[in-house]
Amino acid sequence: METNGVSRRDFIRASGLAGTALCLGFYFPANAKKAQLVSANAAEATGFEFNAWMHIGTDGKITLTDHRAEMGQGSYQSVPQIIAEELEVDLKDIDVVFAKGDPKKYGSQITGGSSTIRGSYKRLLMLGATARQMLIMAAAAKWNAPVADCYAQAGQVIHRPTGNKLHYGELVADASKLTPPKDVPLKPMSDYKLIRKPLKKLDTPMKTNGEAIFGLDKRLPGMLFASVERNPRLRGKLVSFDSTAALKVPGVKQVFKVQMMVFNTTRDGVVVLADSTWAAMQGRKALKVTWDETGFEHVNTVDIYKSHQELLKTKEGLSVKKQGNPDAVLDKPGKKLDVIYETPYQSHAAMEPLNCIAHYQSDKIEIWGPIQAPDWVQGDISDKFKMPKEKVVVNMTFLGGGFGRKAFLDYPQEAVAISKQAGVPVQVVWTREDDIKQGPYRAGISYRGQGAIENGAITALKFKMAGQNIDHWSGPGRGKPNGSTTEGFLNPYFESIKNISFADVPYEMPLPNMWWRSVYASTNGFAYESFINEMALLAGKDQLSFRREYLKDERCQRLIDRMEEVSGWKARKKNEGYGVAITECFDTTVGQVVKVSRNAAGKIKIDKVWAVMDCGWYVNPDIIKAQVEGSVLMALGAATTHEITFKNGLVEQNNFYDYLMPRITDMPTVEVHIMENTADAGGVGEPALPPFAPALTDAIFDLTGKRIRKLPFNMNAV
Amino acid sequence: MKKLSIITCIAIVIAAITLSFRPQPVKEISYKAPAKDSIGSVKAFMAVYKVLMSARCMNCHPAGNSPLQGDDSHIHTMNVTRGTDGKGMYTARCSNCHQAENTAGLHMPPGNPKWGLPPANMRMVFQGRTPRQLALQLLDTKQNGGRSKAQLIDHMANDDLVGWAWHPGDGRTLPPLSRAAFAVQVRQWIAKGAYAPSAKAK
Amino acid sequence: MILTVNGQKREVNADPNMPLLWVIRDILGLTGTKFGCGAAQCGACTVHLNGEAVRSCVTKVNRAAGQEIVTIEGLSASNNHPLQLAWNELSVPQCGYCQSGQIMSAAVLLRENPHPTDQDIDDAMAGNICRCGTYQRVREAIHKAAAMPMEGAKL
Repeated sequence: METNGVSRRDFIRASGLAGTALCLGFYFPANAKKAQLVSANAAEATGFEFNAWMHIGTDGKITLTDHRAEMGQGSYQSVPQIIAEELEVDLKDIDVVFAKGDPKKYGSQITGGSSTIRGSYKRLLMLGATARQMLIMAAAAKWNAPVADCYAQAGQVIHRPTGNKLHYGELVADASKLTPPKDVPLKPMSDYKLIRKPLKKLDTPMKTNGEAIFGLDKRLPGMLFASVERNPRLRGKLVSFDSTAALKVPGVKQVFKVQMMVFNTTRDGVVVLADSTWAAMQGRKALKVTWDETGFEHVNTVDIYKSHQELLKTKEGLSVKKQGNPDAVLDKPGKKLDVIYETPYQSHAAMEPLNCIAHYQSDKIEIWGPIQAPDWVQGDISDKFKMPKEKVVVNMTFLGGGFGRKAFLDYPQEAVAISKQAGVPVQVVWTREDDIKQGPYRAGISYRGQGAIENGAITALKFKMAGQNIDHWSGPGRGKPNGSTTEGFLNPYFESIKNISFADVPYEMPLPNMWWRSVYASTNGFAYESFINEMALLAGKDQLSFRREYLKDERCQRLIDRMEEVSGWKARKKNEGYGVAITECFDTTVGQVVKVSRNAAGKIKIDKVWAVMDCGWYVNPDIIKAQVEGSVLMALGAATTHEITFKNGLVEQNNFYDYLMPRITDMPTVEVHIMENTADAGGVGEPALPPFAPALTDAIFDLTGKRIRKLPFNMNAV
Repeated sequence: MKKLSIITCIAIVIAAITLSFRPQPVKEISYKAPAKDSIGSVKAFMAVYKVLMSARCMNCHPAGNSPLQGDDSHIHTMNVTRGTDGKGMYTARCSNCHQAENTAGLHMPPGNPKWGLPPANMRMVFQGRTPRQLALQLLDTKQNGGRSKAQLIDHMANDDLVGWAWHPGDGRTLPPLSRAAFAVQVRQWIAKGAYAPSAKAK
Repeated sequence: MILTVNGQKREVNADPNMPLLWVIRDILGLTGTKFGCGAAQCGACTVHLNGEAVRSCVTKVNRAAGQEIVTIEGLSASNNHPLQLAWNELSVPQCGYCQSGQIMSAAVLLRENPHPTDQDIDDAMAGNICRCGTYQRVREAIHKAAAMPMEGAKL
């Protein structure tokens, strides 16, 4: 099944139902803070282009648009689940299509920062409620009855006194002529029939029979497949290439030079176009290419971490947040801790290697692909290829994982450049090696934690981080501290600890780096929460009750209660292998308790992971559980089995044989608990990742007495 | 690699020392052959042993139920196991990835039409065996797949899967002897009496 | 050469060295079988060749000539193999990219061992990588499918 965006015009043309559908969408004026809810008729009257977020036809069929990417995190399910709740329809009566990139129609579309629900849920509720109200108003007018006597249920409006019923399809003609009412009251949470229920995901069936179309599965007539031999170094230049042998490979059609733009840098490559992916790859292998090797820092991983250590020991860095005077406390004699934590570079390594289809035409550019940020791609391509935005059509397919990498703009840009020169639609396919070796990566970051304890309590905390800053790639930000230095660290600590400081010691290195699931919290969390565990030990207290003293916030206290309760924390025995960590990420707090033991062969084995998530208002508890299970596994890999290393400036890893993914045999049992409250929605897709590594290493310390401060570590060697 | 060559050097030195001890015949050989020569036989076997214990041979003669991989002989990823016939289990059948020939490229699956481990009822373990243990095992028809000495020579000298070790595909080191030199040593070991090295030989 | 794919004879004109994966995807247009690594490391390209769960990214098409191939599209008549039903029941997929391979692998396991233990599942499924971390549900779903009648299966 293919799920392209459907504009109302397309839809009307296709269905021949002009004027007889209820279309609602939002309009995001550039200067207005609030989105305006509009109907198609009103849109036509005012003349701005309109895309239906919701379309109800006269047959009662409902089509909803998912404005965000679906990469496993569940927007394809949770967006309609929210709208359907207020619209009073069954999910099975809904078709979902992916939006095209257009910030004017959908607001921000970047699927990142765990923002799909927390950023849009109130708007989506209002959309469903408004449409329902318009249908009720239309029915009331038909029956000549007061609106208050009518209500909606299961795709029908019912007149309470008589029991008369009208299907939505019978009402859309009238409803579409109404002006959307303002401030329609939303349901109280206690009336929810769909939201907060573990409903089955709409996209599962098509993912069990091969029907779901991912980027790599999309085909266009006349399309050629492309494989690009790129300079192994970012900014690397091409000296020359010989395509004689490549052009002799059966199926190869064209070979030429191409440049991929990565922010303000470029990476030269030679592209081979062929009639099958395999032929393109074979042609690429037959290329003879000479790269310009001069002018690069031939960095080695070991030197990166040496530099970090040196910086953390000798520089105070740029202050990010400071209260009180931790230095004064740390200068005094007493119980103190001063340690360094190291985290590795990581590849996103989504299962679907990067790929993108582009079709450059003189008056239009169309793109299909696994894209996390269609609105950004639209803007970027419009900019770089001097094509008006409305002529750049960016279609999202399903994404075979993203984790931040597919929010980058390099691979769509390269695909457009290739299509432009080739004169045909092209699908650029990255090999696994391309995907792993070319980055960008989560930066490896080192941290120094210093703290003082007096009478069993923290009197000072001082954290410094040294590592590459993502902002430095996008241009601005150099000379400024990394604003994300405190990410992952729980705010209530600032209330209860008088002397705290966070500083960023800038570290520049020309290695491409990028957001990676949970971004800075993924590394900060390991350092800061490991440090809190070490401070608890120094204070002679157990890790959870120690945290209770500082996390006075009521939600944190309840979270800790729940962690204790579900994990049997209080009944555990000394040195039985229990570890703990709590982090905050994208407005969601997650606490994890990890239990480890040794197996018969004497190796460390994870017995159980208890994860408690407080994400406030939520949609689908089963999706949350899946996201937590997945976050734990991804964190396990990043902590114990894989890392990206550099030798002479080149990446040493190639494929899954040397960038080792955890397998089913490595999967710990994860038990997920969700806190019930009415607070605003937080993120779900990422926040469960950061606490796992510090909880695991804490558990290993509890069992073995060995404190692990450098990731990744080999679990079989502890 | 370095480690391996040091180990084999040590093995040669120790083997040389142990040659001065009196090795014991495995059993009477029943055919006319060049004169028995226990020292020469054991010396030939030690050369054979070095080959059998190289990664190319040992990786498919593991002590456990999983094949080994790489010049460092680490346990095969993906939890691959022997199965009854030695060809893997369920989804992890050897030939699901290992083709009839090597797949080109570094770290790509090597291949042979007979790719597999010895079967579960005839495990033919090399890993961890001392020279003496391995010599006795190779000669024991209950442990060697029912092979006579002549069949044993033929297997080592001519078997196609054994021969893969000398055509292992991109990036894999070869055994320490050529196949021809290996076959010569196997023949000499048997011809000179098929003696097993002393228990002290390493 | 002639391939039998999902019960249909298909004539294919391809380089005999082309991996079956690319023949299936780029020539036959069946895109349910996925490219993940090209090195038999991840299992995303798993199809059945005469009933065995081969990694099509390293299997040359000439090995499949005249043989029976089943891809995810042909595993059942209407998405109703017990594994597909169980996968839907337990909402196993997240991004879904590896799931064709997971299911094709699990189908061989169940055929060979209709009531696998956790250890059997480990022995069979460790060749299939899932970056989203659906392994806990893959395990549960295989157990669930094992408890269902094999009506939808077409193996």
